[in-house]
Amino acid sequence: MITAAVQRLDRSARQLAPFVMSILLVMFSALPVYLPGYGQVAVDVGLMTVFYWAIYRPDLFPVIAAFVLGLWQDILVGSPIGLHALILLLANWAIVSQRTFFQGRSFAVIWWCFSLVALAAAIVSWIIVCALNVTIMSPVPVLFQAVLTVGVFPFMAWLLARAQHAIIRPLDV
Amino acid sequence: MKHRAESVAKVTIPIRALLNRFALLFLIIAAFAIMLLGKADTLVVERARSGVVDAVAPVMDALSRPIAKVSEGVDRVDRFFSVYEENAQLREQNARLLEWQSAALALAAENSTFRKMLNFVPERGGSFAAARVIGDSGGVFVRSVLINGGTVDGIQKGDAVVNGNGLIGRIAESGRRSGRVLLVSDLNSRIPVVGEKSRVRAILAGDNSPSPKLAFLPQNAQLEVGDRIVTSGHGGVFPAGLPVGRISSIGDGGIRVQPFADFYRLEYVRIITEFPGEVAGQIVPSAARPSQRK
Repeated sequence: MITAAVQRLDRSARQLAPFVMSILLVMFSALPVYLPGYGQVAVDVGLMTVFYWAIYRPDLFPVIAAFVLGLWQDILVGSPIGLHALILLLANWAIVSQRTFFQGRSFAVIWWCFSLVALAAAIVSWIIVCALNVTIMSPVPVLFQAVLTVGVFPFMAWLLARAQHAIIRPLDV
Repeated sequence: MKHRAESVAKVTIPIRALLNRFALLFLIIAAFAIMLLGKADTLVVERARSGVVDAVAPVMDALSRPIAKVSEGVDRVDRFFSVYEENAQLREQNARLLEWQSAALALAAENSTFRKMLNFVPERGGSFAAARVIGDSGGVFVRSVLINGGTVDGIQKGDAVVNGNGLIGRIAESGRRSGRVLLVSDLNSRIPVVGEKSRVRAILAGDNSPSPKLAFLPQNAQLEVGDRIVTSGHGGVFPAGLPVGRISSIGDGGIRVQPFADFYRLEYVRIITEFPGEVAGQIVPSAARPSQRK
């Protein structure tokens, strides 16, 4: 009886892991790093985690998780509230709907697709922020952030793959 | 029995799919609604924001300390290699500052004599709160930092934030024990300033670039590159005379100001919670100030 309860608890904890990990990673990304100029183009950690889980374990990262993660990112980073919620929502939806395409693809293809998603996210968020502030902002920092995020993605994917192997794999056994 | 389960699944699966699709649509609408509410500076959104930040501030505070220590260590090693040049530079600067000190002392003595002659009523001193920066990475759309001080420390929305070099920004959101500082370089930052020498009034308008622009200048403004810009105190939100920056360029793109404060290396900041001329968050002309506050 008790072991069954513990097992169930263990199982739900593992199922929650992708979301909890994403929440923590976004919080880490909001800490001050004291690097000149970094704060302006900080990599978009939320987008990377949403992309990864939408491809590899969409069952553990539902659309509501993407929404909540986006709100969390908006609050910590100070961006217009709702912005990342929308971006992550759309990214999650776009990837999950193309899921069959990603099955069995090499990492290079997935990386290439991530760069497209990051570019689309940069453009959409730039348009929204310009509309909210009724000005035309320079798109350079946004695009630079997208490039940086794409560059960091393999490392983040490696990290998340390790976590997936250690925490989530036992669910499938 | 099996047949029945199958027919139930036949009905529930499309419904579930429909619900899922509906959930996406609903969440997209919700995201837009939140965005508009946030844009309108709704109290609910602001409360929710500062509530969440309040809850997470202690964690971020603790996590940011080791990072600050590492950065300090790197700085120390960095400085070690330039110790000789820095020493020579400091000696020279010290000699110059000593001259300034004697000039300042002479002026202070002269000032106090004049004040006595004029029966001048001295202004009250301001009050300050200090806070640590616990979060930055404002992202590409905002220039702001999180601090670990809030209303319990007397910090209120709108207060001016400075460090040793000059003005940093103002408090945009104040929770109980945390707050967000909108830097002067942010797109939404507007600060009334004045040229220290020329006394030309203007609004310092941020545009997310490192050097904000001077807006609403009078047509024949006489400003030069290198002029010091200080807060004017107009509108009463900020005390007058806080150093802001130096004019870095004058051109077709407008007049740009390089702030004195280095926004990338903020660790501790000072918040001006009260300043002469302000009584309980409201600005009063000096004549109307309650006498018991003297």
